[in-house]
Amino acid sequence: VIVVVGLNHETAPLAVRESLAFPKERLAEALLRARQEGGLGEAMILSTCNRVEVYGRTSSPASPSDAIAAFLARFHERPLADVEPHLYKLEGEAAVRHAFRVAASLDSMVLGEPQILGQVKEAYEAAEKAGSLGAVLNALRNRSIGAAKRARTQTAIGRNAVSVSHVAVELARKIFGDMHDRKVLLVGAGKMSHVAARQMVQMGARATVLGGRTFEKAESLAAALGGRAVPFERLRAELAAADIVVSGTGAPGTVIHREDVEAAQSSRRGRPLFLIDIAVPRDVAEDVARVSGVFLYDLDDLRTVAEANLRERRKEAAAAEAILDEEVAEFLDWRRSLEVVPLLVELRRRADEIRRAEIEKARHRLGALTPEQEKAIEATTSAIVNKLLHEPTVQIKQMAGNGPPEHVGFIRKLFGL
Amino acid sequence: MDSRFWLLVTLVLYAVGAFHALLFALLRRSVLTTISLTATLLGFAFHTAALALRWSEAGHFPALGLRDGASFLAWAIVTVFLLVYVTTRVDAAGLFAYPFAFALVFLANLTPATGRPDPVLQSLYLPVHLVLAVFGYGALFAAFTMGVMYLFQEKELRSRSPRRFYYLIPSLERTDTIGGRTVLGGFGFLTLAILTGFLWNHSLFGRYWTGDPKEWAGLAAWVIYVGILFARGRGGWGGRRAAWLSIAGFAVVVFTFAWATLAPTVALAQQ
Repeated sequence: VIVVVGLNHETAPLAVRESLAFPKERLAEALLRARQEGGLGEAMILSTCNRVEVYGRTSSPASPSDAIAAFLARFHERPLADVEPHLYKLEGEAAVRHAFRVAASLDSMVLGEPQILGQVKEAYEAAEKAGSLGAVLNALRNRSIGAAKRARTQTAIGRNAVSVSHVAVELARKIFGDMHDRKVLLVGAGKMSHVAARQMVQMGARATVLGGRTFEKAESLAAALGGRAVPFERLRAELAAADIVVSGTGAPGTVIHREDVEAAQSSRRGRPLFLIDIAVPRDVAEDVARVSGVFLYDLDDLRTVAEANLRERRKEAAAAEAILDEEVAEFLDWRRSLEVVPLLVELRRRADEIRRAEIEKARHRLGALTPEQEKAIEATTSAIVNKLLHEPTVQIKQMAGNGPPEHVGFIRKLFGL
Repeated sequence: MDSRFWLLVTLVLYAVGAFHALLFALLRRSVLTTISLTATLLGFAFHTAALALRWSEAGHFPALGLRDGASFLAWAIVTVFLLVYVTTRVDAAGLFAYPFAFALVFLANLTPATGRPDPVLQSLYLPVHLVLAVFGYGALFAAFTMGVMYLFQEKELRSRSPRRFYYLIPSLERTDTIGGRTVLGGFGFLTLAILTGFLWNHSLFGRYWTGDPKEWAGLAAWVIYVGILFARGRGGWGGRRAAWLSIAGFAVVVFTFAWATLAPTVALAQQ
């Protein structure tokens, strides 16, 4: 059975999501523990700004959902009672549908935003590297990513994308009008900040990247944006010069504090400062928003704006859902057909066993046979077995797609398997 | 047909323009702006005709007394806002101006024309001073509008859940820039109006400064606008401080205008 246990932007506030996020460095460890503590054969963890989800596959009949929930709480050292109310636990068809919808960005905060597909791919790659991806989740990966691409090309959910970064750019233009010669300061060289900054640079803005621990990363990002990289110590000076700040570090605490912004504001002479905090956990202290002339938007704020722009897109979502319905049904059919494969193999093996045993018995009675006679007996018995098994095989394969699952047990009983 | 008829036609057309400007604010359909603009432009043509006719009827420049004053001010405001619209294409600008112009013309239509004794009215300073002052008022009203829009937009953006004004009002930078330009233009007119006012004083009373509250108010407004221009520096960002000052300055200007239109009667009666 495939299961999904997790939380997203709809079930949990940012603070809870922050506290349950899996840092990249600990992902391998988390995958191992998820399999052990959740009793899972396969596991994958998707941890983005907007969702934390554990995907698993188990062959035992008992539901692993509660064990996975307990693992989530234990791993992050939080009481289960705090975590539990925000969780959804999906199994079987519901879990598969969820996996497809997440990959296709139908479950995203900003409907149709393109980043999630890349994040899903990365999550599967990380699971593969950690050796926790088996045949079932690997199939889920291929099918759901394929379906997501199909939904994106065949409907307009991805067109005029209202991604978080796009909303950020739109807001920047509502404050500064023309982006020409505006100064964008990137704090942290994350992917999301890169996307937002690139759009602004294309509109004529100039980028500066503030380096963190790995300065080379900042330098390469600055080169890609045609800007410059400066060490983190220059934060205050760069804040004073910047119009727009995109902050997306992986730092555990806040990076930009009220004093930093106030120090910068005094030399700005009333020029607004637009701070976009796309980090989880957040980079910018909350009280920065109270500084005069400062506009601070965190991820949840960007969502509020996006929602207003989203109504048109919702109509397209119905068409995308229809495509996913088809794809999910195909995947489930395929899964069920896999379930009967062992049954068919066993059935055939059993029949062959009986046939060989009977030939041995006959040989005792008949004595030595010519090669022609051997061949004839072999052919006749095989033909009988094949003819007898032909109809059941066809019927079982058909049943796999749409018959009730208890039929498998019934067939086993019927043939004494 | 006399000027009163044309002023009535003007009123009807301005009403259509103002109504559609408000409707645009509610529904945000671009066709409403077109209707609003067309009606206002037509109204403006009739308004100009009405003013010209009134000038020839009265035999002096028609800008004193409530009726002529309100009508002339409305005309100047519409002129300025049409200019602002043509140069900036900011649909929301008319949202404040057209209803205000309608209200002024409505007021003008209600009040009878005041026939007043002459010595003041024959002076050449009258039309020069009044035209300068009234265009100054118009431009400063535009600056006031931009200040209000700036504050609304800023509030929406800071609330982090933008609603109607977010879509209706242009960017902060744009309202700030237009606000800066209109303040500069309005300040220029205001300065010239104050200077001609002094000269006019001198020709009437032999003194430049008479201590009239109108003079004090005019000076106060002038000082506020100097403050705004200083705050902005050279092409800098005015921000919310400039927005508030534009509003405060305009409040003083409104007082000056009200005094100027109504008080000359008092001043003359005292002589």
